[in-house]
Amino acid sequence: MIAPSAPADAPVPILEVRGLSRKFGGVWALRDVSFAVAAGEVLGVIGPNGAGKTTLINLITGHLRPSGGHVLVGGIDVTKQRPWVIAHDGVARTFQIVKPFRGVTVRENVAIGAMHGNHRDRSVREALETADQILELVGITHRAGSAPSELSVADARRLELAKALACRPRLLLIDEVMAGLRPQEIESAVGLIHQLRESGITIVAVEHVMKAIISISDRIVVLHHGSILTSGTPDQVLSDPRVIEAYLGHRFARRRAT
Amino acid sequence: MSASPLALILEGRKRPGRELLAEWVRTRRLSNSWAAIALVVGFAAMLGVQQVIEPGTMRLLSAVFMFVALAQAWNLIGGFTGYASFGQVAFFGLGAYITAVLMNNSHLTFWLAMPAAIAGGVLFAVLIGLPLLRLRGHYFAIATLGAAEGSREVINNMTPVTGGGLGITIPTFGDQAPTPYFGKPGFYLAFLILAALSVAVSALLARSRFGYAMVAVHEDEAAAGAVGINTTSVKVIAFAVSGAIVACAGSIYAFQQIEFYPSDVFDPSFTVLMVIMVVIGGSGSILGPLVGAVGLELLSQFLRINLGSYNQLIFGAIIVVVVVFFPQGVVNFFRDAWRLRRISLLDNIRRYRL
Repeated sequence: MIAPSAPADAPVPILEVRGLSRKFGGVWALRDVSFAVAAGEVLGVIGPNGAGKTTLINLITGHLRPSGGHVLVGGIDVTKQRPWVIAHDGVARTFQIVKPFRGVTVRENVAIGAMHGNHRDRSVREALETADQILELVGITHRAGSAPSELSVADARRLELAKALACRPRLLLIDEVMAGLRPQEIESAVGLIHQLRESGITIVAVEHVMKAIISISDRIVVLHHGSILTSGTPDQVLSDPRVIEAYLGHRFARRRAT
Repeated sequence: MSASPLALILEGRKRPGRELLAEWVRTRRLSNSWAAIALVVGFAAMLGVQQVIEPGTMRLLSAVFMFVALAQAWNLIGGFTGYASFGQVAFFGLGAYITAVLMNNSHLTFWLAMPAAIAGGVLFAVLIGLPLLRLRGHYFAIATLGAAEGSREVINNMTPVTGGGLGITIPTFGDQAPTPYFGKPGFYLAFLILAALSVAVSALLARSRFGYAMVAVHEDEAAAGAVGINTTSVKVIAFAVSGAIVACAGSIYAFQQIEFYPSDVFDPSFTVLMVIMVVIGGSGSILGPLVGAVGLELLSQFLRINLGSYNQLIFGAIIVVVVVFFPQGVVNFFRDAWRLRRISLLDNIRRYRL
């Protein structure tokens, strides 16, 4: 049993990781990472390549088993649970390298999330109706009948997000949904994320696109070599000299100073 | 929380089952029921046929029906779920031996021995499925092949119970018979019903939430787990349903043969035929295994009757040619052609080869 870290009257964080660690061979991909996310919050996770961002998501969703530490969802320990158990707890995710189900249409892809995710539509027909609504929400209704392989990069990312939303999550983990998108496309993705948080979904966003992460996050955690370098509001984090040195580089620092 | 459209979608509906059933009935149209109608009409048409055909044709059609069931069964695990099993004959042999041992040693009727064979198939599928379905691709294929060879050896060496290499005989006539022999029309009917049931079960599964779960597991297990699909149970259930159908076929086959040896009912060529029929017909569909099984079994019998000693050579050559021209299966080829409004074998080869 894990003792609560917060006072008894404080609201239970929707996600809490404690001392989370993962070793690959002799290398610590993630070492002793702890943080909590309050319900309704948007937490950004940034860090240079290889900082352990995707490993963090894989550990939370059960796609990887931690070498140490705990994951709590809504105060309940889900460490070492299988991915589908965690999905049924209301945690959905996207994959950085998109993983559509290639054998079926875009619409059916989303329906698979709707019928097996959190609330579960009880029939294929209901799931397809839900899929239509979600496709409209993410703006790819016109691709509903397409094969996933026919989608553009931006639309494939939207499909990835739609599949996760179809699970009706209370906590959504997004892994670089904006990487490689054009500015307009990023703008619409940012708009969508704002819309999601307004509907009450808590979001943890791993992102490379700095402008995007600043505009969507309430708080940012900076990972570096598998450990938390610092965390705080976007402004605090971005003015931290260690962050600038480790990740952002001088050019970005200068631009923010002016 | 606001009542935005998004919030309503995320909330989800919780409609009672009665309402869903009513909606299902209301939305039946010819366009979405033609397959079910075709199956029922086909089944009814074949029902009376055994009264008018010759015994040889009856025997041929019985074999065709058996292979329809076997191909549908293999397609569930190898086609939809994407786990190409090279050991499905283990269920066939197991079903045959459970039936024969129960009828011969325990004098149980066929009507108890056959359900026992099915239960044995399910149990065996769960037992070997739990460890083996963790393997993928070639490793799973080799492991299932090994499991089938191993189970044959076990039956071969359980001489006191199974008769071992000397074979086993089911008493079928006189006072000794727990169930009177069906005769050719009887086995025609038995295999026809088995084929129809296996097509119906596959079709219902394919259109259900479970069917989509099988496809998701086939495509990407990490992604399937992420959307809440219990990949372990999907794989084991698909394997078990497949095993149940194959064991049932083995059970009827055993009664039909009366006398057989381990090498007959654990013959790896049963597995090979299941794989070829599904691949040539078109895996991951219902029509594919049906077309593959009917086409190949009729072709193989036709060649055997008309070509004498060359029949296996020609049969093999035809399989090679078909696989080269229709790598995705005959049914899927015509489905693609219909979708693209264009039939071209050359285009097809290019699309799936290069």
